[in-house]
Amino acid sequence: MKFFIDELPVLFPYPRVYPEQYAYMCDLKRTLDAGGHCVLEMPSGTGKTVSLLSLIVAYQQFHPEKRKLIYCSRTMSEIEKALAELKALMQYRTEQLGYEEDFRGLGLTSRKNLCLHPSVKREKSGSVVDSRCRSLTAGFVKEKKERGEDVDVCVYHDNLDLLEPHNLIPPGVWTLDGMLKYGEQNKQCPYFTARRMMPYCNVIIYSYHYLLDPKIAERVSKELSKDCIVVFDEAHNIDNVCIESLSIDLNEDSLRRATHGANNLDRKITEMKATDAEKLQNEYAKLVEGLREADEARDENAFMANPALPDDLLKEAVPGNIRRAEHFVAFLKRFIEYLKTRMKVLHVISETPPSFLSHLRELTFIEKKPLRFCAERLTSLVRTLELSNIEDYQPLQEVATFATLVATYETGFLLILEPFESATATVPNPVMHFTCLDAAIAIKPVFERFSSVIVTSGTMSPLDMYPRMLNFSTVVQESFTMTLTRKTFLPMIVDRGSDQNQITSQFEHRNDPQVVRNFGNLLIEFCKLTPDGVVVFFPSYLYMESIISMWQGMNVLDEVWKWKLILVETPDAQETSLALETYRTACNNGRGAVLLCVARGKVSEGIDFDHHYGRTVLCMGVPYQYTESRILKARLEFLRETYRIKETDFLSFDAMRHAAQCLGRVIRGKDDYGIMVLADKRFGKKITQLPKWIQMGLDQKSQKLSVDQAVSQAKAFLREMSVPWSRHEQEGHSSWNLEELEAHQQKKKLEAITGTENPVARRMEGRADAMEIAEEDEFGGHGMDDVMADLDD
Amino acid sequence: MSRMSRAVNGAKGGAPEGGGLLPNIRSLSLSSPSKHPATDPSSEVCPVCKSGTYLNRNMRFLVNPECYHKMCEGCVDRIFSHGPAPCPIAGCNRTLRKAKFRSPTFEDLKMEREVDIRKEVASVFNKKQADFETLRDFNDYLETVEEVTWNLILDMDVEETRERLRKYREAQKAQNSSTTRRALDHSQASDKRKGATQRKALDVSSGNTPEPFATNREDTGFSFRGLIKRKTPEPPKSFDPFDGWSIQPQYHILQDKYDVGWMTAAGKDANHSAGGYSMPAFYSQVLCDAFSGFGVFVEDEIKARETQASMDAGVGTRNAAMAAQGTKDVNMDDVF
Ligand code: SF4
Ligand SMILES: [Zn+2]
Ligand SMILES: [Zn+2]
Repeated sequence: MKFFIDELPVLFPYPRVYPEQYAYMCDLKRTLDAGGHCVLEMPSGTGKTVSLLSLIVAYQQFHPEKRKLIYCSRTMSEIEKALAELKALMQYRTEQLGYEEDFRGLGLTSRKNLCLHPSVKREKSGSVVDSRCRSLTAGFVKEKKERGEDVDVCVYHDNLDLLEPHNLIPPGVWTLDGMLKYGEQNKQCPYFTARRMMPYCNVIIYSYHYLLDPKIAERVSKELSKDCIVVFDEAHNIDNVCIESLSIDLNEDSLRRATHGANNLDRKITEMKATDAEKLQNEYAKLVEGLREADEARDENAFMANPALPDDLLKEAVPGNIRRAEHFVAFLKRFIEYLKTRMKVLHVISETPPSFLSHLRELTFIEKKPLRFCAERLTSLVRTLELSNIEDYQPLQEVATFATLVATYETGFLLILEPFESATATVPNPVMHFTCLDAAIAIKPVFERFSSVIVTSGTMSPLDMYPRMLNFSTVVQESFTMTLTRKTFLPMIVDRGSDQNQITSQFEHRNDPQVVRNFGNLLIEFCKLTPDGVVVFFPSYLYMESIISMWQGMNVLDEVWKWKLILVETPDAQETSLALETYRTACNNGRGAVLLCVARGKVSEGIDFDHHYGRTVLCMGVPYQYTESRILKARLEFLRETYRIKETDFLSFDAMRHAAQCLGRVIRGKDDYGIMVLADKRFGKKITQLPKWIQMGLDQKSQKLSVDQAVSQAKAFLREMSVPWSRHEQEGHSSWNLEELEAHQQKKKLEAITGTENPVARRMEGRADAMEIAEEDEFGGHGMDDVMADLDD
Repeated sequence: MSRMSRAVNGAKGGAPEGGGLLPNIRSLSLSSPSKHPATDPSSEVCPVCKSGTYLNRNMRFLVNPECYHKMCEGCVDRIFSHGPAPCPIAGCNRTLRKAKFRSPTFEDLKMEREVDIRKEVASVFNKKQADFETLRDFNDYLETVEEVTWNLILDMDVEETRERLRKYREAQKAQNSSTTRRALDHSQASDKRKGATQRKALDVSSGNTPEPFATNREDTGFSFRGLIKRKTPEPPKSFDPFDGWSIQPQYHILQDKYDVGWMTAAGKDANHSAGGYSMPAFYSQVLCDAFSGFGVFVEDEIKARETQASMDAGVGTRNAAMAAQGTKDVNMDDVF
């Protein structure tokens, strides 16, 4: 259908649109018009991606400047899904408009997924693929070949040079699969095709890391212009992605391997001095001038990028004492030896970068400035030495990255040395965590560089947490719910068993036999009543293990076994994917299965349990973080002091977003239905921190339930769901055709003129009610009016 | 393994609660559990008396910067307590004194020695970037210093290098005292003349391999290009009680005069001015009353007070360090 939002014509590839989709698009447009950032929460399964793409493509095509869209998602399958949606959208546009627009949309993922080289693509690990590819495609390899030397190259890569550089692949939208096919037909590398075509694309869809991880972003996303529209989809975990991209762990073994790498470099330098001293001399000459000059030759293949180096540093010349290759390697060795001595300490150490630097300087005469240049200097050296087995230098690279980071950031980072793995361990196994405390650091360049950044996900409550944590301001913040004709999901909070004993994963009670038994009964009952799949989430592996072994003694598992096949998630990815496969098979045939997994595990994040794959989700206890962690303590303290986020607020926010993620796994669309059980008495107090769309379904009568009350509600719900029901019933209310949409727009216009903003209209559009005031507001819960009234007396 | 970022990112399969107990998580960290024999403290043996830490866990090893041969504390006491004696390590024979023994900082004794050499060199070469006219000159200086250090570390031309170091140190000392003297004399003209000739001389040699100062003037061991001549230290700036803090009004500009009828009249009224009433003081007071509340957000202040936050990342980082160390309590009470 085609409709207008203000002056903007939008082509939407479906005959009907959900009210919340329409409202979502209106908010997006507002954001783009205002040229600012926004945070939008929209339940999964409401067609978020297609709304986003329809609006932004419409916006691009309508405005002459054709702002590029950078759409970031988390997993390869999400990227592929988005590309498919985009393709369908463009096809629809062509049909409607009667001509094909000049448009390019490409996706990018790692070499591992896009490689075509017959032997390289068979490698199992992504980093091996990367480094093998580099050794086939690096600039010096080509030079050698031109000189007539016999070197291995990748023909898929070299064929690209025969094509027009800005037209490596015909216009249109290419899914990853399509790229692979096209690449195979034309014998050209899909990975480099996508990389090199990025400047000429209207839409780029790739993973977060290409924008957030400074080590990659510098390489891949450098040329993107300022007016790009950046979207982070499924962004509820974005703060952790940011932090992780700047945190480094070192241990004795990695230091040993780093020393090994440094010794190898030494050997290579000596070799090169004997055979090709000129190359080293050239590098030296360039470094004397400045990094940027040395960078001119930087090819797309480079070994690694520097972590978030300030621009002025790149223009500066390399400090004199690490200009010569051998001096630099000795410098690195000295730094590594220093780190080794720090590892010998047998008590916990936690220090800030400045204090680390001053101690370092005292002991080794290493100054801050050359330290900052380490990462970049190492890149240059590796390039000069024309190393091919780059993966051997990985640990050395980590040390260099660490050096650069610690010398670049005075705040927002912390060094924590933990000599023992656990409080009870007696044999030291020291780990040095260089941990980023401030998620804003990694994402700052993104907010600074791009005028519109859209942060969106199904679970982002409370909305203001993200702007605070990531330190940006928004022009729009909105939470949408699902407009539904009938209630298709049943959230419930169960706080006690049928024996009236509490249900909780609170530390003091979590291993009480009654509590464990009640958790067990809950599982048994829901396995009995649920057709097909049941998914269960525990707060941690540790707790899951202990509760399972207790259940074994209580015959709980035997009972469950009568109804469902039992499968368990493990930290091993391969085992888990096998378990998932079996689970799916069991759901497809027969009585179904129950999958026991962990709230912060792989399953809770990336796997959908749509339709019969998940009819019930049980959240056994609050998925709280392990609060003894020093890193967590440090981050909480930092958040409090710097961003005024109370420790307890953050902890409960974090627990609730993971709980919401778990619940969201089973509802993947409006025609899907499922039961969501939050089994812990403590959930009752934190309802307001759940996404609005779940809150709306969670009315008074579905809170504070005992197991048998929950069971009878669930049975009634399932009965209701089994009544045949057609899409028609949605019409007019929870989905609009063009006339209904226009009628709504008309009404809105009138309201705008009369200046009445109607809460009913807000709700019609699926907007959540404006933020209720938190439990204790500053007027002691009486509301300002009462206080004022008192004053008047 | 309780590292939060790992644990939170489920894709890596971390365990949020005490995951360290799970054996398979270990593979996530970079480490392999195997230990390198050399770092295993139980295998260290004194090369002199052959007793090892295996039997005596508290055994300490010492080195002497004369030769960096490692031996146990017991041996040091036994051999050197009665005065200087030759190193017991075969083929060494250097005379060592007990007082010079110390326990090494680095496991790698070559590094121990290198750092000692660096210390020595750093005591002679201590110029800062600000001492040079250009960054390029400073970088060249750093490189030369590095070369000197390398010569000493690699035992190349040690005698000659040490000699040059000695000369340079003395030249520096002489120059320092002459600078002070001259500064006292205030003889600016002669200063300039001397500086010019010196500059020319300095230009002669520089670059990667420092050459001895080869002019007819005195030999200073090393010379560097682009040195800014020592200036007399700048007089300390006048005392600023606000430490750079501006007390200029931020939200209004004070004009000399405001043309408002009654005020102008009042200003001219002799009854007022006779008492010392000053109109500008009045203006400033009124505007301050009107605007000084700008930029103060009560709500934020309340929040800040509640969380006792400074909004300063520096303070935040320092406090975080204390929290991780355990010297500062973080409120981790059950939030539910
Ligand atoms: S250039 Fe492409 S096809 Fe060739 S090895 Fe690299 S990724 Fe594979
Ligand atoms: Zn001994
Ligand atoms: Zn000796």
